[in-house]
Amino acid sequence: MGFVDSHILSLMTFLPVLGAAVLLCVPKGKDDVVRWIAAAASFLPLVLAVKLWFAYDRTMAGVNVASQFQFVEHYLWIPSINVEYFMGADGISMPLLMLTALLSFLAVIGSFGITKKVKGYMALFLLLETGMMGVFASLDFFLFYVFWEVMLLPMYFLIGIWGGPRKEYAAIKFFLYTLAGSVLMLLVLLALYFNTTNPETGGHTFNLLHYMAQGTHNAWLKGFDVRILLFLGLFIGFAIKVPLFPFHTWLPDAHVEAPTAISVILAGVLLKMGTYGLMRISFPIFPDVTIWFAIPMAALGVVNIVYGALCAMAQSDLKKMVAYSSVSHMGFVILGMAALTPVGMAGASMQMFSHGLITAMLFFLVGVVYDRAHHRQIDGFGGLGAVVPIYTAFVSFAFFASLGLPGMSGFIAEQMVFLGSFQAFRPFVIVAALGIIFVAAFHLWALQRVFLGPLNPKYATLEEINAREIFCLAPLGALVMAVGIWPMPLLNLLNASAVRLVDLVKAVI
Amino acid sequence: MFLGNLGSLPYFLPELAVTATILLLVALHVVSKRKTTSAPGFLALLGVGAAILLSGVSAPGSGKAIFEGMAAYDGFAIFFKVLTAFATLVVILMSMDSEELAGRSKAEYFIFLLATLLGMFLLSSATDIVMLYLSLELVSIPSYMLAGYMKGKERSTEAAMKYVVFGATASGVMIYGFSLLFGMTGSTQIAEIGRALASGKPALPVVLAAVMVAVGFGYKIAAVPFHMWSPDVYEGAPTPATAFFSVAPKAAGFAVLVRFYYTVFAGPDAAAGTWRMTSTMDWPLLFAGLSAVTMTVGNLVAVKQNNVKRLLAYSSIAHAGYMLMGFVLLSSAGIEAILFYLVVYLFMNLGAFYVVVLVRNATGGEEISDFTGLGSRAPFAAVALAIFLFSLTGIPPFSGFIGKVYLFAEVIHRGVYWLAVVAALNSVVSLYYYARIVRAMFLQEPKDASAIPVPAVSGAMLVLLAAPTLILGVYWEPVARFAHASVRMLAF
Amino acid sequence: MSAFLATVNFASPYFPVLVLLVIALVMSVGFVLLSQALGPKRYDRIKYGVYECGVDPLTPAAVRVSVKFYLLALLFMLFDLETTLLYPWAVLFRSLGLFGFIEMAVFVGILLVGLVYAWKKGALEWQ
Repeated sequence: MGFVDSHILSLMTFLPVLGAAVLLCVPKGKDDVVRWIAAAASFLPLVLAVKLWFAYDRTMAGVNVASQFQFVEHYLWIPSINVEYFMGADGISMPLLMLTALLSFLAVIGSFGITKKVKGYMALFLLLETGMMGVFASLDFFLFYVFWEVMLLPMYFLIGIWGGPRKEYAAIKFFLYTLAGSVLMLLVLLALYFNTTNPETGGHTFNLLHYMAQGTHNAWLKGFDVRILLFLGLFIGFAIKVPLFPFHTWLPDAHVEAPTAISVILAGVLLKMGTYGLMRISFPIFPDVTIWFAIPMAALGVVNIVYGALCAMAQSDLKKMVAYSSVSHMGFVILGMAALTPVGMAGASMQMFSHGLITAMLFFLVGVVYDRAHHRQIDGFGGLGAVVPIYTAFVSFAFFASLGLPGMSGFIAEQMVFLGSFQAFRPFVIVAALGIIFVAAFHLWALQRVFLGPLNPKYATLEEINAREIFCLAPLGALVMAVGIWPMPLLNLLNASAVRLVDLVKAVI
Repeated sequence: MFLGNLGSLPYFLPELAVTATILLLVALHVVSKRKTTSAPGFLALLGVGAAILLSGVSAPGSGKAIFEGMAAYDGFAIFFKVLTAFATLVVILMSMDSEELAGRSKAEYFIFLLATLLGMFLLSSATDIVMLYLSLELVSIPSYMLAGYMKGKERSTEAAMKYVVFGATASGVMIYGFSLLFGMTGSTQIAEIGRALASGKPALPVVLAAVMVAVGFGYKIAAVPFHMWSPDVYEGAPTPATAFFSVAPKAAGFAVLVRFYYTVFAGPDAAAGTWRMTSTMDWPLLFAGLSAVTMTVGNLVAVKQNNVKRLLAYSSIAHAGYMLMGFVLLSSAGIEAILFYLVVYLFMNLGAFYVVVLVRNATGGEEISDFTGLGSRAPFAAVALAIFLFSLTGIPPFSGFIGKVYLFAEVIHRGVYWLAVVAALNSVVSLYYYARIVRAMFLQEPKDASAIPVPAVSGAMLVLLAAPTLILGVYWEPVARFAHASVRMLAF
Repeated sequence: MSAFLATVNFASPYFPVLVLLVIALVMSVGFVLLSQALGPKRYDRIKYGVYECGVDPLTPAAVRVSVKFYLLALLFMLFDLETTLLYPWAVLFRSLGLFGFIEMAVFVGILLVGLVYAWKKGALEWQ
């Protein structure tokens, strides 16, 4: 157990890709074997994630102090350019690591319906999981960047081969958009590398924790204009992922055209990487610029909330509506982060976790009806509640969770964000709170059009939701309820780090 | 200080090996009754292999000036000899595999290939402007023949014609520049010219010389605006020859570019690992502009291409632009970045062309539409090509990314931020056209879904080229150290 | 203008060369332009036709020359240059000694291989 304990993050990161290597060797035609190997390869990180939950010390804050990170692995990777293999977890990354493990496993189970080129699909998916885990666990910027980019290729193929009618367009749009943001990030990465010194060795470093110590910055890097440019470069790169208005236009296409399980991962995990990047990298390294930029960021967050909701209301495709609802929900995260208060930051982290669960449920549910009816037009359905009551129950649950009904995790997260931001951004919060009306509106309206009202005779014989699909949904629903009623365990997990992060940023005032 | 003719011979072994191979190939061709054996190919392989092995025989320590100062035997030259010889090796194997060239005796083809290689060996080590011109022509003229090798094909003849005319013009301009340098300084040795120029010369002839020589070298590496020959030649030449042109003469062109400009128009600076510009003309700025234009034109025009070979030609132009970034920095880290990039570029580019050869053998076509559905028809080759194309784009975890990181890093280190931003944006643009091929292979269904068999030898070659592309993306320390050790150029 | 004139060194021995160059350029370009501008343009079929000693053209202007001429010229040039390089060697033959002899033998040998190649390929045939 010693090896597992001391390398738990590496195992979580690399077990999926090892599983991919194994399943590539399976002879042709044995699709079931491939599926179960993939399921096993994504189940193991989940087991390790549970172990993480129990082994994590909630009092250590991490954020910028190396000794306060847990499950640390620190080796030299490429000595000649000072790249380190530095992995560790703190309260910011813990919920996301667990979320990734859970959603990946459920997505693999949810992908059992794929019949075309199963081996390729599963191998690419597992490679994607490795990338995602690596991003959340890395504390070396170069390592972070490599894992970040590793995700792009599998996503391109997963959307482009197994996607819907406009898959090629959606896939290349996603790839180009994200790559553009990534190269900006690369430039900032290199600028940071050459203008900081490693306090231990005196040379250059990619270690994020060293970047966070403002004393390592050289004179050029201390210039405020330079810092604004670098911060904005990183911001654009992360904002594309969030997706923050106006960099969100790739999302509707990518989500709609991606297969169900990939939409789940895209919305559930990939979107969180943008905000995680801001929390992990931008805020601690450029706290002065963060404070300078807080108001525009909050404004953009509110735009996301309201604009996302309005767009969702206008959609006729159920999946596109859910996609825009994701845009809207991520606005809360940005608002909470921009507030720079402990409650706001904790609320943002909670919203990341909660939204991951809820949006995963939503996309799974959309996939259920798409599998049966082969279209997602809201107005094409009607009165399904009478035919598929269990499914309707799940959808209602998910919709209510998404609009922030008390008793579910979304409510806790959104309220914490509002509480945390009210002092700092009163007008924004008022607008956002009013924006929730739109959120509720489109959810209820869609619910009414699809499930209530007169039964559309075409779907009188619609199949009920089956056991595998329920298996994918039930854990998510249970967690949503659990966090909604008793949020303390999750809050304890992330609180220390959220507080420390805010203190770190505010310290420059 | 200078080694005489006889004393230089031990340092000239790779060139002698190649020369002997050429002569043996001629003899073989003249003597053999059956014209389509693969004996010439194996002989060529042996010769080039011997050349690679002999390259490092006398370890330089510090460099030696051989043949009365005509050439230099130093780490820099050895690096390029090994690089170009290895590229030739792969191209020989590719040519033996190609059906475009089948049915004719390949001995003459290999003679031209090896003659070009000999020229490149000399070009990498030339330290005298006469030798420089001679070796540049020795690289160019057999290349003309290689481009026009398919006598019956119009495209091939057109390619050769364009190549000849363009090459002759560029060489003419270049030699005029050389003559200006000789007139100003009275010497043909580049080191002496460098010293004479450093002590102050009228500005106009120096500027003219620098620009004219840039024309000649720029033509060789296909930099904009001297690139016009490249797409037509790459498209018309037989594919293995195209693969060769895109890697080896380009590498040799960079070798001579660095050596010439850093010796003649710059001198070593007090700070270790950097150079100081000595001429009044800001030639790094000129080349930075050339680099930016080359990258941009190469990438933007490639977007519109439908012929894969032409697309790869424009992509090679763009990559020359990236490598020029390292050249303008006047630092040894910049040169290291170029050397590292050349190594990874060799694998990626030769690999991509290899798959093009295979597809052409099977379908007879070179358009993107001929690659449709390759993912299901020849999955191994398709995956390999995808690896090479994404590596060319510069995405982790492939070696192309590491190459770009080294270049970007040094550019940012030296503060030329605008160039880094241009290059970054260009990388994004390049994704679009590389992804077009990948899209055709994997995302589209083929009209004819029959499987394309990939012969075992070709498969092995693809593995041999794809493996470094993958491995060097994760662990590249040895290559980085080799590049670092090779930056020692002779300065006498 | 005066700044430009300041760069010209009137006392230099090459100054007359510059004058000559300028006059030659001006005259040649000037006359052509002048005749273009001032000359009458009256089209006459015979005036614009091909000149062949005053008689009507017998053969079309574009004649295809056989490639054999080119091959011959190429081979001539190569071996003529070889001969040219033999001359200085011959003059210094004694002082170059054995080393010079072997070196020239290698040179001639390589070209001999080329000659054999050309011979076998039929480049030396006239038909």
